[in-house]
Amino acid sequence: MEFGPILRAMRRNKTRIGLIVFEVALTLAIVVNCITMIAEARTKMVRPSGFADEDIVRVTSTPFEKAFREDGYLDNSRRQDLEALRSVPGVKAVSNTSFLPWQGGGSSTELRPAGSKGEMLRTQIYNGDEGTLDTLGIHIVEGRTFTREDVERDALRLRQLSAGPRALGADNRPQEKFAQDVVVSQAFAKLAFGEGAALDKALEDSDGDLYRIIGTIDSFYNPYGWPIHEYVVFYPNAARSYEGGAPYLVRTEPGQAGALLKAIEARLLATNNGRNLRVQALTEIKRQYFSGQQVVVTMMTCVIVLLVLVTSLGIVGLTSFSVAERTRQIGTRRALGARRTDILAHFLLENWLITTMGLSLGVALAYGLNVGLLSAVSGAKLSGALVVSGVFVLWLAGLLATLAPALRAARISPAIATRNV
Amino acid sequence: MLLYNLRIALLSLKRNWILSAVIVGGIALGIAVSTMFATTRHVFARNPIPQKSDVLYYVRLDSWDPQRPYPGDDPSRPPTQITYRDMVEIMKSDIPLRQSAMFRSNLYVFPDPKVGRPQKTMVRLCFADFFPMFDVPFKYGSGWDKKADAGPEPVVVLSAEENDLLFGGTNSVGKTIRMEDRELRVVGVLDVWRPTVRFYDVTANFFQAPEPIFMPFNFLRPMKLRTFGNSDGWGPSPSIPGFEGRLVGESCWIQMWVELPTREKRQAYEDFLAAYVMEQKKAGRFPRPLNNRVTPVMAWMKEQKVVPQEATAMMIVSLLFLAVCALNLMGLLLGKFLARAPEIGVRRALGARRFDIFVQHVVECELVGLMGGVIGMALALGGLVWMNNWMKTVTQRGDVFRMDAPMAALSVALSLIAGLIAGVYPAWRVCRIAPAVHLKVQ
Repeated sequence: MEFGPILRAMRRNKTRIGLIVFEVALTLAIVVNCITMIAEARTKMVRPSGFADEDIVRVTSTPFEKAFREDGYLDNSRRQDLEALRSVPGVKAVSNTSFLPWQGGGSSTELRPAGSKGEMLRTQIYNGDEGTLDTLGIHIVEGRTFTREDVERDALRLRQLSAGPRALGADNRPQEKFAQDVVVSQAFAKLAFGEGAALDKALEDSDGDLYRIIGTIDSFYNPYGWPIHEYVVFYPNAARSYEGGAPYLVRTEPGQAGALLKAIEARLLATNNGRNLRVQALTEIKRQYFSGQQVVVTMMTCVIVLLVLVTSLGIVGLTSFSVAERTRQIGTRRALGARRTDILAHFLLENWLITTMGLSLGVALAYGLNVGLLSAVSGAKLSGALVVSGVFVLWLAGLLATLAPALRAARISPAIATRNV
Repeated sequence: MLLYNLRIALLSLKRNWILSAVIVGGIALGIAVSTMFATTRHVFARNPIPQKSDVLYYVRLDSWDPQRPYPGDDPSRPPTQITYRDMVEIMKSDIPLRQSAMFRSNLYVFPDPKVGRPQKTMVRLCFADFFPMFDVPFKYGSGWDKKADAGPEPVVVLSAEENDLLFGGTNSVGKTIRMEDRELRVVGVLDVWRPTVRFYDVTANFFQAPEPIFMPFNFLRPMKLRTFGNSDGWGPSPSIPGFEGRLVGESCWIQMWVELPTREKRQAYEDFLAAYVMEQKKAGRFPRPLNNRVTPVMAWMKEQKVVPQEATAMMIVSLLFLAVCALNLMGLLLGKFLARAPEIGVRRALGARRFDIFVQHVVECELVGLMGGVIGMALALGGLVWMNNWMKTVTQRGDVFRMDAPMAALSVALSLIAGLIAGVYPAWRVCRIAPAVHLKVQ
């Protein structure tokens, strides 16, 4: 195959070639940047929480009956609710906890190893009970989780604590320290105490209150506004919702979560009708949490597909024109002995050269656009592997787009050269 | 002459309709994608209250922790909201023409049992000035008067939607509704009021619609209300437990707006705030350096990043997409025009000037651009319907993304510009064809 004729022919068509080069370059730049954004969104979306997301149902009871304002009544109703939830066929475990995975936030506090002068470490913090870990589907690595007695006792102690003012010491912090047993995630234990065993060690908060670690759990991931997604502290307490009701998590037999929503709501309303219930599958909560990301992924995918389509059609069009324009020359070449494959190879090679020029410019543009985008939005840097695969995909698209017009060129009969067009 | 050019252009497009479809379709896609994403971004970025945005100011005071700045992107910024005790004091100023502190709460509304079960409903607690300050439109009645703020008198203002729900859309002024354990009298019903961004409170979830119910701020104490928005605190727990502790503590949870019609007023108000903070410093509060902010609407929206980053990124990408479509258009038109060289040769030989040829081809390009623009706008409208359906699943609002006049104009302008940019070069090339060469070949 001779490059000479191809290069000379290309020099006579600078504009046409320039246009394809720019188009291909911009296409590569946009495609790889879009894929980077998609990949970033996808990474967040596929990261597992460590919980049995598919089989968890969230229930929130929000009472309007005044009787619920009395602690005794609320406690009673909570007990009845847990009983009622357990009695629904298909329910494996239940928990009264303020923790709700996948809502994009929760509650957090600052702690540090007790007695240290170190920096305060922010962590998520939730109240839980003896069923919380089972319901979430996570496991104790070391130590133990709470018992019913822990929960009942601490609920009472915490209520007494918040009943009246606490006497302050000279440092403006409560004189008498309050101590509780807690279960923490391994990630937080590691952050606070390094590699060594965290069991039985204590943390303190800004009031000087103490949190003794009685157990560590394996996996925990709940995306939060601050980078504390893997840090959690659970303390035993009866969970009360922000609205004065009670929040629950329910674990169902595999695959039954969706089917049990109605049954759960009916069962609880039959227990007590003085409230509204919100019963949602955790998968639905998760879907809502990622809905923004999902839209970005869908949109970007559409843009990529349309862009490659437009560029390919453009290449088809321009190559067709160039074939039409050169019909007589092709006929002449064929008459002088060029085979069909020579003509086919000529156009494929010519376009490959043009696409390659476009792609080399495109690599530079892609990095430029990435820098530009990153100054406007936070996002990920381009990966080299991605750029390389983008180059290959567009090479392929370019060849495919050239194929039809090039085949048409190859079919031009040598006789055409002898005719006037 | 223009009509003649248009007719020729149409004929030319009809001659090879597959090619024309590719040409018009390509530019239509470019216009559709760029219009859609420009509109999406514009919906968040536009001025929510253009007639007053330069006299309304959001107020912040830096009452935060001496150890470290308020968390966020920029450590020089004070907390986004103010404390209850500061709000009480600065509301005593008579410098602002109007002012309102506010927060939102989630309360039970008990409709007539025939209408439905009790419903938790978002309520905005605010002062009488809220309604005139933000030009809130009324259908029936009006806001409450300042006397009702002090009491507080048991009055409420309902949104149009809430009035539909509770009273079937009739004039409910003078009727009462039950909220938690209180009876409140309806004094006003709003007309449809749906700013895309809930601009008067952009501290959290600001894409939600305005609250369905408004009531006087001072119900805070008698009803022991809690904010449903963010509440940021620091330091040791307040010495008093429970509700009163939250009021005396350093917890920041109230939004504060003032209307300052002149520059002098703004200066006077800033001086007033500075004097207040210096006074408080003497009492041991406000340990951080003096850092009050009196921020105009648009600057505050920008600081709170009301425009989602994704919207900006998508807009940049979509404009580049349009650029690719324009390049594509240019290439296809160039090829198409040059293939027509013999015909142009004849026309030139028959006396057409270069200018005539040029204009005729530019007209054809603009026609392609406009056709693409019209189809593109229709596609963009379809895309916005899809976006609205998505938004509905997130915020229960299906009316967020609308194409307004500026965006429709932008769409037309983009299509004309794309047609022009893509068309001038091919038209110029083709008008410079020497007639003799092509005549000879024929």
